[in-house]
Amino acid sequence: MGEIKLTDVNKSYGSVHVLKDINLHIKDGEFVVFVGPSGCGKSTLLRTIAGLEKITAGEIQIDRKRVNETSAADRGLAMVFQSYALYPHMSVRQNLAFGLENSSMPKAEITERIGEAARMLEIDQYLDRRPGQLSGGQRQRVAIGRAIVRRPTAFLLDEPLSNLDAELRVSTRAEIAALHTRIGSTMIYVTHDQVEAMTLAHRIVVMRAGKIEQVGTPLDLYNEPANRFVAGFIGAPHMNFLKAEVAAVELGTVTLTIGGGHKLLVPLSGHKLKVGDKVTVGIRPQHITLAADPGSLTVKTRLVEALGSETVIHADLHGEKLLAVVQGQKQIGSGDEVHFSVAGAPLHLFDENGLRVKSA
Amino acid sequence: MTSTTTSSHLGALLMAPVNALMRVVDIPLRGLQKSTGIGGMAAFFLAPNMLIFGIFVLLPLFINIVYSTTGGTAFFLSERSFVGTEQYQRLFTCTNYLDPMSCQEDAFWTAVGNTFWFVVLQVALMILVSLVTALILNRDLIGRSFWRAVFFFPVLLSPVVVGLIWKWILQRQGLLNFILYEIGNVTPYTWLTDRNWTFIATIGVSIWAHMGLYTLILLAGLQAIPKDLYEAAEMDGTKPARVFWRITLPLLAPNLLVVVVLALIKAVQIFDEVYVLTGGGPGTSTLYLTQYIYETGFASALRNPGLAAAASILMGLVLVVLTLMQLGLGRKNENKGKR
Ligand SMILES: Nc1ncnc2c1ncn2[C@@H]1O[C@H](COP(=O)(O)OP(=O)(O)O)[C@@H](O)[C@H]1O
Ligand SMILES: [Mg+2]
Repeated sequence: MGEIKLTDVNKSYGSVHVLKDINLHIKDGEFVVFVGPSGCGKSTLLRTIAGLEKITAGEIQIDRKRVNETSAADRGLAMVFQSYALYPHMSVRQNLAFGLENSSMPKAEITERIGEAARMLEIDQYLDRRPGQLSGGQRQRVAIGRAIVRRPTAFLLDEPLSNLDAELRVSTRAEIAALHTRIGSTMIYVTHDQVEAMTLAHRIVVMRAGKIEQVGTPLDLYNEPANRFVAGFIGAPHMNFLKAEVAAVELGTVTLTIGGGHKLLVPLSGHKLKVGDKVTVGIRPQHITLAADPGSLTVKTRLVEALGSETVIHADLHGEKLLAVVQGQKQIGSGDEVHFSVAGAPLHLFDENGLRVKSA
Repeated sequence: MTSTTTSSHLGALLMAPVNALMRVVDIPLRGLQKSTGIGGMAAFFLAPNMLIFGIFVLLPLFINIVYSTTGGTAFFLSERSFVGTEQYQRLFTCTNYLDPMSCQEDAFWTAVGNTFWFVVLQVALMILVSLVTALILNRDLIGRSFWRAVFFFPVLLSPVVVGLIWKWILQRQGLLNFILYEIGNVTPYTWLTDRNWTFIATIGVSIWAHMGLYTLILLAGLQAIPKDLYEAAEMDGTKPARVFWRITLPLLAPNLLVVVVLALIKAVQIFDEVYVLTGGGPGTSTLYLTQYIYETGFASALRNPGLAAAASILMGLVLVVLTLMQLGLGRKNENKGKR
């Protein structure tokens, strides 16, 4: 079992309020990723769950038992630290055994567990080396191995891939996903990289400045971001945001005016928008296409990046930046005038407070 | 803003004469470099230091070796007669090698014995006390920097001041007896005339005077141990004692070795504080090697500079061994840092 429930969790360091009213219910066996910009409180949240930090208010439950007062050791969780935190003077084997020896586990079982984890992580050859004699990727595996041998109810991983180079990061990411499938325990994974979050998570928790902005599956967040922050954070390159004004409201459709007097039709019903309301319209770069007719958005390109399979166009729409990623190779130069079309593109509407204007 | 500009103005003002001087000095230095090359300049700038080192360290060392081969009470080398290894032989002349009192120079062997026990006990206690202090100061306690300063402060005192302070505390009508009398109505005790107490006092006082340095070195070592190692141990439910023996101590070992060797070197050389505090007494109970050398060579009525020189060279050999150990350790740590 590895069900974790946070209720109104708050954490302050003196006058610094780091976590604000965190509510989250993580189901047994779920892979949850905390994502957000640096300093938003992801690590702190993970550490409060681990029991390494005391919370100032609220309640943490593991498997329906309140653990606020339970020590880190007795919560039955294992943590993989960003720096790996391997004991440098011990061999890999001793590193793996250290935690198990605390609970006076029989020697035979310790050996068996180490053997099993070492095989799973393919670190059997290195068991007698010290961490200093291993590469970054190998150390990373040992750190994960140290968590696995404890057979915890849940794994807590704090940016485990951030010290690896780009290539290794991608392969290790896949291995972590495979490991989760194999072990089936709850995993909470912290990262500031939204691609890691999208590829690994069952559910993503987007955080900003100590608050949870949105919780949902990767595609939920991509398709229906709850606010401008989430919309901008999830997806690469970032979503375009254009200032717009409501020009007309009809049944099931809202007409917007954007820079240069262009009109956009947004299918939307059950909203409270009135003519004259100021809104922001969000368009993902991948949803913009090139058009032939001058009736669509006419923009001036500032920079064109040809990546082979796709072309990234940085354009200027009446003083607002607009980025488009179009498929294939295009004969466009910087400074050219081109026509963009957003016909059929999902348009995201955000009100003056940055909150999504929902369709009922 | 304003304060930085004023201070930079002040700086410019102070630098003006220096700059003027440099401009004058610059001309001959440039000429010198042209004629001697860069290497010659290095020698030129090193020369004053080498000269001082030569006059005050190498020359006395050499003269001391010569003295140890001469006899008589005269100070001037020209008035002294060559005796070969007679002084060394005298130090090692004993009827029974297991009993220092049977030796011709029983005071030397008493001093060696005293110094040996002093070094062993003082260094052992020093490590223990400074390690415990460093462990405490490494915690999040209130006024941490204040306490660090408090423990380091005695290191800055002159040894003579240290001796005087403790004499004032330990003498018969001193502070300690006063306090004991006031709180416990204890009869005043003569701490500095009891053989056992004076030996303990010299150990205690020298620890008090030097522990700050060692505490600081150990504290630096403790702070260099990554915090997350302790957090990993906490997640595993490691008991504090096991954390100390299995994590803290092994990772602190390089610093501990440095401290042991430094403390050994310092302890062998113990003199000033003890000389002021006990004068080596009562009897010869706190007579240590350096004091024996000093008294034999300069202070006693039947002074014997040759014998003192021979004793000091024997002591020097011990220190050379310890210093080589220290250099070896330093090099090992340096290599570790590079890897
Ligand atoms: N021990 C501490 N004392 C004071 N502030 C802290 C402490 N630890 C973290 N913080 C603050 O809490 C905020 C969140 O930190 P952290 O959880 O490490 O962010 P993240 O992991 O998302 O980058 C930061 O603004 C940081 O400065
Ligand atoms: Mg972090």
